[in-house]
Amino acid sequence: MSHPAAVRTFADEVKAIPGGEHLELCYSCGTCVSKCMIQQKVEPDYNPRRLLRMVMMDMKEEAFESPTTWMCSECDLCYQACPQEIHISQVIAAVKQLAVDAGYTSPLTPVQVDEALCSGCGICSMVCPYQAPSLFEKVVDGEIDRFAQVDSNKCMGCGTCVGACPLGAISREGVSNSEIQSQIPSPDQTIPDIITFVCDWSLREGADVELLESYPADQVNVVHIPCTGRIDPQHALMALDSGVKGVLVCGCKPGECHFKRGNHVAKCKLGLLDTMFKQIQSPHKEIRFVQIGTQERGRIRHEIDEILTAVSPAKEAK
Amino acid sequence: MVDAARQPKIDVRTYTEVESVEGFVGNFKVTLREKAKHVLADRCNGCGDCARVCPIEVPNYYEMNLAPRKAVYIPMSQSVPLVYTVDLDACIHCYKCVEACGPLKAIDFSQEDKYVQEDIGAIVVATGFGHFDPSVMEEYGYGRFPNVITSMEMERLNNSAGLTAGNLIRPSDRKNPQKLAFINCVGSRDKRYNPGCSNFCCMYSIKNAVLLKQMYPNVDITIYYMDIRTPSKGYEEFYDRAREMGIHFVQGRPSLITEDEETHNLFVHSEDISLGRVIEKEYDMVMLNQAAVPQPDQNHMSSVLNVVQSPGGWFMEYHPKLRPIDSPTDGIFFAGACQGPKDIPASVAAGSAAASRASRILHSEKWEIEPIVAVVWPDRCSATTKGRACGLCVKACPYGAVVIDGDKAAEIITAKCHGCGGCVAECPEDAITQMHYTDAQILSQIRALLADKPEEKILAFRCQWCSYGGADLAGTSHFEYTANERGLRVMCSARMDSDFIYEAYRLGAGAVLYSGCHPQDCHYITGQKVGAKRADRLKKMFERMNMTDGRFRVEWISAAEGDKYARVLNEMQMTLDNMSPEELRDEIERLKPDMEKRLKRFPGVPGVSEAMDYSDTLVDAILKAKETS
Repeated sequence: MSHPAAVRTFADEVKAIPGGEHLELCYSCGTCVSKCMIQQKVEPDYNPRRLLRMVMMDMKEEAFESPTTWMCSECDLCYQACPQEIHISQVIAAVKQLAVDAGYTSPLTPVQVDEALCSGCGICSMVCPYQAPSLFEKVVDGEIDRFAQVDSNKCMGCGTCVGACPLGAISREGVSNSEIQSQIPSPDQTIPDIITFVCDWSLREGADVELLESYPADQVNVVHIPCTGRIDPQHALMALDSGVKGVLVCGCKPGECHFKRGNHVAKCKLGLLDTMFKQIQSPHKEIRFVQIGTQERGRIRHEIDEILTAVSPAKEAK
Repeated sequence: MVDAARQPKIDVRTYTEVESVEGFVGNFKVTLREKAKHVLADRCNGCGDCARVCPIEVPNYYEMNLAPRKAVYIPMSQSVPLVYTVDLDACIHCYKCVEACGPLKAIDFSQEDKYVQEDIGAIVVATGFGHFDPSVMEEYGYGRFPNVITSMEMERLNNSAGLTAGNLIRPSDRKNPQKLAFINCVGSRDKRYNPGCSNFCCMYSIKNAVLLKQMYPNVDITIYYMDIRTPSKGYEEFYDRAREMGIHFVQGRPSLITEDEETHNLFVHSEDISLGRVIEKEYDMVMLNQAAVPQPDQNHMSSVLNVVQSPGGWFMEYHPKLRPIDSPTDGIFFAGACQGPKDIPASVAAGSAAASRASRILHSEKWEIEPIVAVVWPDRCSATTKGRACGLCVKACPYGAVVIDGDKAAEIITAKCHGCGGCVAECPEDAITQMHYTDAQILSQIRALLADKPEEKILAFRCQWCSYGGADLAGTSHFEYTANERGLRVMCSARMDSDFIYEAYRLGAGAVLYSGCHPQDCHYITGQKVGAKRADRLKKMFERMNMTDGRFRVEWISAAEGDKYARVLNEMQMTLDNMSPEELRDEIERLKPDMEKRLKRFPGVPGVSEAMDYSDTLVDAILKAKETS
């Protein structure tokens, strides 16, 4: 008996890439979709379950054009929750790789490097969770010089490199230094008690976000950042300088960072800052870094209350 | 239960554990440990005066630890027999119970555990199943959020004889919940915990939902599911009825539950797959339908009874389709969910079937077994020839049927032997032979199969239960494979003596396939392991001999893998095709002396007629021995 010749389907192509193997075990139970926060927070059409289905049903073009292919930031919350132990982010990465090979480009806006400022130190390529920036050599005025360049298909826009660049050579609309600085009140404005830098992903539920917005302007000022990795210690210092008594940085729990390890970068930076701060023994000024887990609904309220009480004696003294 | 206790032919032993099981079908010797109740069963009238005065309260396991019980207790009001038990772990020895018992003098603290031995003909195992502990699934918050409960806790909360007399309340504030979510497949169909389906939870959560809806028509119930499985008669109709009553069904496995710390209400995050949207809904209480898992002491029971466990830990049946109630050990039967998750009708059916299978044994004078048992030739056993038994046969037997008593020759308890042939192949003295699969018979088959142009042939050893079935399936499915294959059937890969393989190569076989079951589905419990160990040894030896890779192959092929059987043989044919005839001939000639050397025990193997004669005399002897006894 002769069998019909094997046809190489889209699913076969994806399965041939390491990480894509277990694709067809999917139950379509939807755990990944609800564990992921992208659909609720950013893109209603984002749906990993449906992308896996598209791959299985040989819908190549739809899969390449799907926002899911491009917006997955490989946080792997879904992998931990998947009952079939499918490494979903790796399947998506495989689809993305095929899409890039086929000439599709990411719809996300990558960060831009200003070569006039870049010194080629390479810190950006070290902190980036996605290996998007790399160094290249170019002849400038007869001398070989190094510059950073960013792979626009790899950049997820977390801004960790922006926060790490010592020369401010990297920026992107929405996360640039000037935009964040403009949200920090200058001395002639109302000075709130504390400034909270909140990463877009650590507060899972709408109720917590609403709570944050409900504080009066003279109490809590909220600055939204894409990831705590974006934090520049300078911002915290600027805020304290303007008369604010406390800075609260709110990020994701270790292991739950939306951008893989931006929270870790932030922890290192703020830890150093905190040590410095303790050494100069500045009274009644607080810098705190809290890491909120997906299940810790309502924790932000306690954290804000705590830091408000911690800085309030300063207020009374005034 | 009361009926069973009243039936004069049923002897109910409660609070008793099986310590050991020895013997074989019809002749089991079972040791029981009757644990001390510290209450005399013949004096206690179950009045409960002792429990009323007892000052100690501990969580009541029967009420899922939601309610207390005293240190002297009965687990439930319908207990059979109605005799109290003193829990010495909790007791403070105040002896108030002794006082309260008064002239009955039923309480006796000096009582100790009693060991009794019983002669048993057949054993029915009905140890049931355990419950998956959902607290390991952090995403659902069981154990941290008071209003997340399990299905068993729900069972007690809405039971009219339960701790709340059927008034459904939620643990955090004891108010009646208005909005309830049931989550199915908690810990089941989940590779991280239990990959299998727990079988009855779909119907079970629908049942709970319908019961609650009847009791409290205004409560709002949502069932989150991956798939609703209602395969049996009337089940789908019940599912329909639930939907008509207004119970909501959401397809989508929740990924997360969070709690509002003030109201203790719960937020269930899931995708509604029909909508393709993530929904976050607030509930007063969430019930987790936890998976059915094997009893925590299933491993212990399995070693006491000498029955195997399937992957996952359930007891394994003799044959999944044809003998689903029998254990691999004759005379032991399974009833209910100890063997895998079963719902009530299936458990009752299995119980009745097990009872009837058992009664067959109790009502028969003789017990017929397969004729393919192993027999020992005592004068060849190393115990006789060298004065010390090597014991390899004992190690190889999955049933404990081979016994070596001191320095006497090995002996086989025929009633326990299932005829896998593991001991036969392992015996270095060829002192054991298997009826109808004697060495002589198999060797003459090998010679006949390799009589003509042996270098072109692929000799395939197949085990009766799996790879033989696989070969059969390859044939009936018309999968093409090489015509040079010559199949040879033995009962188990454990029977595939290394002598057979040497003989095949000595005769100049092109290639040899050593095939059997996958480790987890061996028909003879651990027979495959014995065979696999030997195959490993052979493989390494042939590697050292520089045999071309692929001329000796070891493959585990199930009866459902006809395609694999065909593929393996075609690959082996390719190995042969890739060698030039001269190359192959040279290799065969080169290895021949080695094979002959290894076969030096071989001339001692008795001929077919001799083996048959021996078995006839043996059967005669056994029959005579039976008659005289």
